[in-house]
Amino acid sequence: MNWMTKTRPAAPGVTRAPKPGPLTAASPSANIRISNGLKEFLWQLSDTPNCRVLDLGPVWQSTVAFFVDKGYRVTTEDVLRTWTDFQTTEEERRRTCSPEDESERISQTVFGEKFLAGALQYPEHRFHGVLAWDLLDYFDAEVVPLVMERIFSILHPGGALLALFHSRSAERFHRYRVADSQSVELLASPTIAVHARVFRNREILDLFGKFRSSKTFVGRDQVREALFLK
Amino acid sequence: MWRKSADAKLSSQPSETPSMSRFGHGTTAPSSLQTQATSQPVSQTPPQSAQTAPVVPATAAQTTSRESIPSGASQIGAGLKIRGEISGKSDLNVDGEAQGKIRLAEARVTVGSTGRVQADIEAREIVINGTVEGNLKGVESVRLGSSSRVQGSVVTPRLAIDDGARLRGSVETIRTSEPRGSSAKATTETVNSDVMHPVHAHVESE
Repeated sequence: MNWMTKTRPAAPGVTRAPKPGPLTAASPSANIRISNGLKEFLWQLSDTPNCRVLDLGPVWQSTVAFFVDKGYRVTTEDVLRTWTDFQTTEEERRRTCSPEDESERISQTVFGEKFLAGALQYPEHRFHGVLAWDLLDYFDAEVVPLVMERIFSILHPGGALLALFHSRSAERFHRYRVADSQSVELLASPTIAVHARVFRNREILDLFGKFRSSKTFVGRDQVREALFLK
Repeated sequence: MWRKSADAKLSSQPSETPSMSRFGHGTTAPSSLQTQATSQPVSQTPPQSAQTAPVVPATAAQTTSRESIPSGASQIGAGLKIRGEISGKSDLNVDGEAQGKIRLAEARVTVGSTGRVQADIEAREIVINGTVEGNLKGVESVRLGSSSRVQGSVVTPRLAIDDGARLRGSVETIRTSEPRGSSAKATTETVNSDVMHPVHAHVESE
């Protein structure tokens, strides 16, 4: 399927694009934010037969039920949790290894490769959609390209990737789950990883250079939602 | 059909093999099943009237998981390690370790918070509060508790996921010809982890 040629059905008299950003006064809950990125992501997947979606956040009943109800197959892998567990294990191992064992002192890139030997292990082109949320903000700079490379390989040609980028250091650690077809719920959670970096727009474009096209939505809370099509 | 090997009758001879006495009530264990010496004594599940004085010292977590188990359930207690295929009709509670395969298609399998299972589980109802590496096939339902850690795929018509659960695996759904009534609609409603959400599912292995 050629995503670029996909056309939207016209809806006369209906404004299609709601204002981006978190809901405020009209919001039933302050931690629900309108997500044009999600809306676009779902639209891109809407005609895909046997659609497979990979959620890189924690498993939530609401997210699973949402996609299941659409007939999609959902896979979840909390990559950030896996990453922090991996770091903890490695640090412990390094602490206990003998000082003369220089082979244990590896670069961050090798560290990242070692991490990916046990994470994101899926066949090539497996998924039509990947929800990365703000995952990339929390990885070390050397590891981000490796993770991106892996995500790119498991994404089906024409598939969509939704990622969020903070415009400033995240004040709180949040997890995300799908509330409905155009909004996500932010859940303040115990911090499991420190916000590592703020991506500049140019860096994002470079990072996703292999993708065919991209769309960015900036919310009122300055969180950038980026949708990339492979 | 459940195959019952002659060796499996081990489970019905509690007096001869006290360490295996927790397998009973229709659960069979294969000849390859092994138990390993444990630091804790293992004894037969006491009768209902004697349950106020547990034979095996139980942690709070164990007590919690046992409370949800119907009387008559077979049990792999904390400290026990089982390898092989477990099949039968009895409900099963795993607070220890199990490796191999668990097939109790007409019964309920509960993995307690101290339970560690490296096996595919097939049961009528599956409740996970511990750690599982393997695929889950719940004929009626699967519940992933808040302390559950599951690496594998989930296949079930009804799935409940408590906040805090960790699943690394897939859920693939299949719509059945069942009429879409109120229960089917529940899949799209706001999450209430106390409610089993119907998810007509089958899962691909990763």
